[in-house]
Amino acid sequence: MSEQEIREGMLLAVWDEPPLDFDPDTLIRRVEQKKSRRRALVTVGVATAMIVVASFSLPGLLPRDRNTQLGSETQTTSSPAPAESMERKAQLVGDRLVSSLGGRMTNLKDLYSSFNPGRVPVYPPYQTKAPDWSTRDSDFSGYLYLTDDIGPTALRVTVSKGGLNTKSFCEGAVECKDVRQQDGTVVSTAEYLQGSPEVQLAQVARRFESGLVVQIAAFAYNPSNGNGQRQTVPVRVGVLTELVTDPGIRWE
Amino acid sequence: MRKADEQGFREFAAANAASLRRTAYLFCGDWHTAEDLMQSSLMKMYLAWKRIKDLDNLIAYARKVLLRTWLDEKRRPWRRAEQRDGELPDAADATVDPDTTSAKLWARELVHTALLQVPPRQRAVLVLRYFEDLPVAEVAVAMGCTEGTVKSQTARGLATLRTIVEKLDSSSGRVAS
Repeated sequence: MSEQEIREGMLLAVWDEPPLDFDPDTLIRRVEQKKSRRRALVTVGVATAMIVVASFSLPGLLPRDRNTQLGSETQTTSSPAPAESMERKAQLVGDRLVSSLGGRMTNLKDLYSSFNPGRVPVYPPYQTKAPDWSTRDSDFSGYLYLTDDIGPTALRVTVSKGGLNTKSFCEGAVECKDVRQQDGTVVSTAEYLQGSPEVQLAQVARRFESGLVVQIAAFAYNPSNGNGQRQTVPVRVGVLTELVTDPGIRWE
Repeated sequence: MRKADEQGFREFAAANAASLRRTAYLFCGDWHTAEDLMQSSLMKMYLAWKRIKDLDNLIAYARKVLLRTWLDEKRRPWRRAEQRDGELPDAADATVDPDTTSAKLWARELVHTALLQVPPRQRAVLVLRYFEDLPVAEVAVAMGCTEGTVKSQTARGLATLRTIVEKLDSSSGRVAS
């Protein structure tokens, strides 16, 4: 079988070729449909991938606390969250102190409180420069404002985990004693004359087992502004002790 | 695609579709598969038309695409294969010359039986060289191999084809030339 015969054989093999029904426009239309189908498939694939990624990452972004509303400003760092709750706690303690003191000393007027996170300074009458400000997250403090027969003044309240130096607490006090409470806390009371015949400073400190220390102090002046000098403190340690041990106040 | 490019493709496809289908038929031995192969090849060319429209020898490129499409189709495990379970009897046609008809039938037999038994790449070389009448260099381009490979594949393909044709002739009583 020669090459020529193969060539002729191949030419003859297509002699019964069926008619060709070919339309380039149909072919082009099919290609365009295929292209759009492929695009749609890619779009669906990308969308599916995004949904899968979102479904895995979303639980980490949602608030875990059930009380927190979705869409509300959530805190992602550890420090600001306690500050917010501490502010709320300080307000509650202040409100409770106002009602407690008002119940015990009915002669007081214009009772109100101002508590905030951090440690507020005391403005002594002899010092114009403000003391250092503590911004520890676990601390909150404020003033319990009152107006008695003499005039307006305030009690200073500090709640801190900084501990209490009993030596310095009692230093210069005419009377300083520790009383252990039934709940395990220790209440220290001290009154200071500071060279005056009358008590110039009365303060109590309640130490919790957790290390929390609550101090309430009454000065012979208004500690919130350094004014209002008077002969003696507006509230003595007896009432201050009742305030610091008030079971209605959740200090911790 | 721009209208001008689309029109260019339309003209190319219309002019070469029949030729490509014939070549595809000699590759696969079935007109339906041949039409599918031709259309698949043209679809691939349409997608790449912007890039290939300025080639010097577009039909050579089309043959290359056709060959690749056929070889790819053959490699697929789920390749569609027609199950032939019988032969339709040829209808007698009194108007034709019996000798011519006999030659045509033998040629069809050549394709259906002998050529299809030749290995695919050797078959492709034989079709491109003896049906398309392409020089060795162009076949090498279409096959994506060297000219030496084309020559050796041609020689092997011819030997295989001759062996098969001789067997066919001896079994059917026809004298091999």
